[in-house]
Amino acid sequence: MKDDILTPASARVLNFLGLLAMIGVLLGAYVYQFYFRELPCTLCQLQRVGMVAVAFGAAMNVMLGPHPRHYGVCLVSAVFGMAISIRQALLHINPFFDTKTAQPTLATAANPPFGQPVLGLHLYIWGVVLFATVILAVGIVQLFRGQFKPSPPEPEWLRRLASIAVAALVVVAALETLTTFLECGFGACPNDGGWNWWILR
Amino acid sequence: MMTVTFGLIAISCFFLWYRKAEWGWAAVMIALIIGIIIFMGDVDFSTNLGVQL
Repeated sequence: MKDDILTPASARVLNFLGLLAMIGVLLGAYVYQFYFRELPCTLCQLQRVGMVAVAFGAAMNVMLGPHPRHYGVCLVSAVFGMAISIRQALLHINPFFDTKTAQPTLATAANPPFGQPVLGLHLYIWGVVLFATVILAVGIVQLFRGQFKPSPPEPEWLRRLASIAVAALVVVAALETLTTFLECGFGACPNDGGWNWWILR
Repeated sequence: MMTVTFGLIAISCFFLWYRKAEWGWAAVMIALIIGIIIFMGDVDFSTNLGVQL
């Protein structure tokens, strides 16, 4: 396989697109949160941690150039996020299993899904899909060694775009920190899915 | 705990943007470890992990 199929500049553009996609998903989660007035549970928050961390790995590639360590940050974060998503999906996979008593039951809605579905799937299922896609994409991109070669300085337009995208990530990460503080303080987050802000209690 | 986790990542993002700081990856790994600790605290091990196995 030719090594120069994926140049450092094109790898940066791919990571830039991945970074924008992650920022879009995180902002979409905010729209969902405020539209349905449902605060994220602990597992939902941990999935957001995984998404911001994946975005950070992509941001490192965009700002500093492609490096296996930066892709490693993406992979470790995606595996973390997928473990949390699978855990939450398994919790709600059987509506007739009461997770409080660990017993099957015939009561309807003994174990209802958490939150509203989006396009027919709940957010934790989308989480599994998203993190699996990240793992697959990072694995495929890493097949091309040409991106890791020393390269001339990137063009000015790419440098500016990278700076704007990473600035957007800084804003989103700061927003996540602020809303998490308002929801949970420095303690455990509420798991009832209601409009139960720590700051208002 | 969750606020600290997000805060660590936010600080890493800021210094990556402002100073092109490379050390942020270590802070993100620490944030993920704190996330694992929160996750383990959330699992109810007394009820078969809360999942029908």
